[in-house]
Amino acid sequence: MLLDYDRMGWLKIALLGFTALVAGFLLLPVVFIVLLSFGSSRWLAFPPPGWTLKWYQELFADPAWLDAALTSARIATMTAILSVVIGLLASFALVRGRFAGREILRGLLLTPMVLPVVVFAIAIYAFFLRLGLGGTTIGFVVAHTVLALPFAIIPIATALEGFDKSIEDAAIVCGASPLEARLRITLPSIRIGIFSAAIFSFLASWDEVVVAIFMASPSLQTLPVKIWGSLRSDLSPVIAAASSLLVGLTLALMVVTALLQRKVRT
Amino acid sequence: MSVETRQSLPTFRMPAGFNGLLPALVLIVLFFVVPVLALLLRSVTEPEPGLQNYATLLGDGTYARVFFNTFLVASVVTIVTVLVAFPVAWMLAIMPSALASIVFGIIILSMWTNLLTRTYAWMVLLQRTGVINRTLMAIGVIDQPLPLINNLTGVTIGMVYIMLPFMILPLVGTLRAIDPMTLRAAALCGASPFQAFHRILLPLSLPGIAAGGLMVFVMSLGYFVTPALLGGTSNMMLAEMIAQMIQSLLNWGLGSAAAFILLVVTMALYALQLRLVGARRMSGGA
Repeated sequence: MLLDYDRMGWLKIALLGFTALVAGFLLLPVVFIVLLSFGSSRWLAFPPPGWTLKWYQELFADPAWLDAALTSARIATMTAILSVVIGLLASFALVRGRFAGREILRGLLLTPMVLPVVVFAIAIYAFFLRLGLGGTTIGFVVAHTVLALPFAIIPIATALEGFDKSIEDAAIVCGASPLEARLRITLPSIRIGIFSAAIFSFLASWDEVVVAIFMASPSLQTLPVKIWGSLRSDLSPVIAAASSLLVGLTLALMVVTALLQRKVRT
Repeated sequence: MSVETRQSLPTFRMPAGFNGLLPALVLIVLFFVVPVLALLLRSVTEPEPGLQNYATLLGDGTYARVFFNTFLVASVVTIVTVLVAFPVAWMLAIMPSALASIVFGIIILSMWTNLLTRTYAWMVLLQRTGVINRTLMAIGVIDQPLPLINNLTGVTIGMVYIMLPFMILPLVGTLRAIDPMTLRAAALCGASPFQAFHRILLPLSLPGIAAGGLMVFVMSLGYFVTPALLGGTSNMMLAEMIAQMIQSLLNWGLGSAAAFILLVVTMALYALQLRLVGARRMSGGA
């Protein structure tokens, strides 16, 4: 009866207890960081002696943080757009194309996801140094798009595999041009895949640390580079404030995703 | 004449539906394959042509220690992650969906939260005077603060935390695909719950455990951020050593050779994982 939830007896209690512990473990750092950001102790004493908003004031008073956040947002947005467009074209070819070596090419396009980032980071760093693209926005966007592309291809290709091509064919029979049929029938039907691709590739760039550390220049820093630098010098509560805002952003993204999924189901 | 030549040449046509792949291929070849190959080239040409960089890495005790640390931490992280993830995935597979969606929500929140944010939280939590040491001392489990950070213990805790979602989520799928009737049948035939577990439930979930475990192992081998922030200077891991060789020591030859060793090991294990997953698909899984 091990897969029968209602008839597991004491084992169920034990496993549920364990699951609750693990859920607590997963939640702990996230909740902790938010509480810490409102704590008044500069030395991160916990529980804090009092509550304050001064770390947020310090955060917003320092233009370097805002600058880094805007840089990250700009690079992540460009990366997301580029990965979704390239990924969409590639997915159509991978799902519908009939040519030799399709599986090998799919594997090649997904390799950046499995290769340790540090290897890619030093390779692209050396390459861009030679091309003079190190520390430029274009360099960042190109490198991040390589890393984000698998996260765009997987959801779009999955959605496309689940889409019945005969509906697109029907539109063409009814007089739509092939392009029109794709734009007005197929793309709306796989919009959840496209939307997931956009979120995942945005996050892949927004959260990317390793390539960014190598590529960053004093004049071009993304948010993770700024956090990394602060972490290496001291554990100031300002980082907790910045981190809490990032947690808020994650929650917002989760809510949007959940709402969209619900809308599709109904 | 030119007309004749043109006709005699086989006309080259793009295979059907191939064109869409071109932008992606140009991007990957130009900015992924070429830079990685150039790095490989550097590992056998700098400072002078030959394999001496590899000989240094594989022959020196200091580097042997880094390789050992890396494999040790990756193995421990994988084992702990599997042991913790399995019961959770098991419950998630059969829980009422309202309860399960709460746990899934927590898993996604943890997974999507910025990597540095999570690592920062652990840096503060695991400090000598951090919450965990204080709590343990307050309830009398320990008298002296435990050294939880700047060593491999800290790295292991932080890595298990990051890897858990990657193990739990695919395992839920594996466990959901198991027909509960097989276990009911075992019980009817007189199997004890323990027998049913280790002769039916565990073997049936083994492909999922192997695939997930291998993925966690591979990801842990090349991980950079968490070891660099939670680990100590005396117990370095491979990715950190590579970054240091390039960034602070500017030793491109040695650094790219180490990177290439990491690449080969990772890709070999990845190929093994693909075979495992492929085998599972063929054996009639979902």
